[in-house]
Amino acid sequence: MSRSAQYLQEAADWLTRLQRSDVGEADWLAFDAWLEEPGAREAYDAVQAVDEEIFERGAVLRGALTEPRRVVGKRPFSVDWRWLSGLGATAAAAAIALTLAPWGELLPQPDTLYSTAKGESRAIQLADGSRIDLNTDSNLSVRLEDDARRVTIHDGQALFDVAHDERRPFVITVGDETVRVLGTKFDVRRRDGRLAVTVLRGSVEVSTEGEGKAVRLRPGQMLEHVDGAGAPVVRVVSTEDQVSWRSGRLVYRDQTLGRIVSDLNHYFERPLRLESASTANLRFSGVLIVDGQDAMVRRLTSLMPISATPTDDSILLRERPSTAK
Amino acid sequence: MSDTHSDKVALLRLYEEKRANLVRVFAARLNSRAEAEDLVQDLFIRISGLEILEPIDNPSALLHRIGSNLMLDRLRSQKRSGARDTDWRDVNTTVLAGQEVADQPPADDVVNSRQRLQALVKAVEDLPEKTQQAFRLHKLEGLSHAETARRMNISVSTVEKHISSALKTLTRRLR
Repeated sequence: MSRSAQYLQEAADWLTRLQRSDVGEADWLAFDAWLEEPGAREAYDAVQAVDEEIFERGAVLRGALTEPRRVVGKRPFSVDWRWLSGLGATAAAAAIALTLAPWGELLPQPDTLYSTAKGESRAIQLADGSRIDLNTDSNLSVRLEDDARRVTIHDGQALFDVAHDERRPFVITVGDETVRVLGTKFDVRRRDGRLAVTVLRGSVEVSTEGEGKAVRLRPGQMLEHVDGAGAPVVRVVSTEDQVSWRSGRLVYRDQTLGRIVSDLNHYFERPLRLESASTANLRFSGVLIVDGQDAMVRRLTSLMPISATPTDDSILLRERPSTAK
Repeated sequence: MSDTHSDKVALLRLYEEKRANLVRVFAARLNSRAEAEDLVQDLFIRISGLEILEPIDNPSALLHRIGSNLMLDRLRSQKRSGARDTDWRDVNTTVLAGQEVADQPPADDVVNSRQRLQALVKAVEDLPEKTQQAFRLHKLEGLSHAETARRMNISVSTVEKHISSALKTLTRRLR
């Protein structure tokens, strides 16, 4: 075996070992050592890329390998096939891939409303393959039509990972704004009359009703718009920060306490209140772990010059008198 | 204590040093380099927000444990969403090369993609019989190594040898 063929074999052995269900730290350390050998990384990356391709195209490959057994007139579930028509040569392969997989239960009803309570979050898998992660205290509705996939965000925040389907654009309506996408990953936040759209992958078009020009967003960009205000503002942000809520963290860079309190009030029933406008304008940078309300308030009071006083129905935050700093 | 601070610095440094290899580790089971990148980002957020109360004896074990948990979360949600629900979408994407969004493939890529699928089919068909059977049961029917071994009435390590040999051959032919 030539040297490069030998590396490919070792790389394939490693990939297979790392795919064991009981793979552990010892495997990881040994793999790490193997990667130090010259040519190892390149060989592994090549094998992994092919393995990923096989995974991605598994059903199509399976359909092409088995006898072309067309399951017609005996579908395990009902799918609207109209949008599949006219796909051309590989439509048959796609049809086979579809028929073999029992995704029937996943098809949502028209205009399904999804919502989360305070402190709750949920993952929604749509029948078209798109995924929506819904943050706390949010609600949106989904309607999958023949020519479009429509989502209306009534309130809250959601991360979308949209399956590419050119025939059925994914259109999100938020207030008087429309977000139009074809296949991409992005976060939409709608709170208190403010819209923020952050793109992680692909591109997204945002248009305002009555205005001709749409804004095209690229990965790493965030668009913000306040209801009734003028043109939206686009800036470059850390997308990691914007979607940190998914891992139970809120990341702030020079953010006002007012905004932080408004965020936290979507997690907990008992509202936080701010004593004054100057308290609301205090700034904070850092990571807040979302756990219990008392613990979060305690952390805030240790990180910022504020004190917390419980009242009957809320928790009042006030600025600590600025003694010697 | 400042010890915990230096422990955290050491943990973050280890992360930086091992980042690329971690992506490789997680890409294996997630079957997606992009998702492994996402995971490693999550891992960074997780460890940088970590409140370190006790000295970290073994930062490598900690990194591995947190990473493994994140990976299992992702595997669970992949399973929920139907592991292979992406492929028919890919067909649509490549066939219907469009014009509206920048991430769509030009027409050349559509042809290339179809040719590549044919090459892949041919390469699988050319695999030795047992190797092909193990490959198809595991990679295409989604059976685990152990399930494949039971089905073929051979040992798990033989299954792994077949699968690994198939991967090597396919990579050599397709790269």
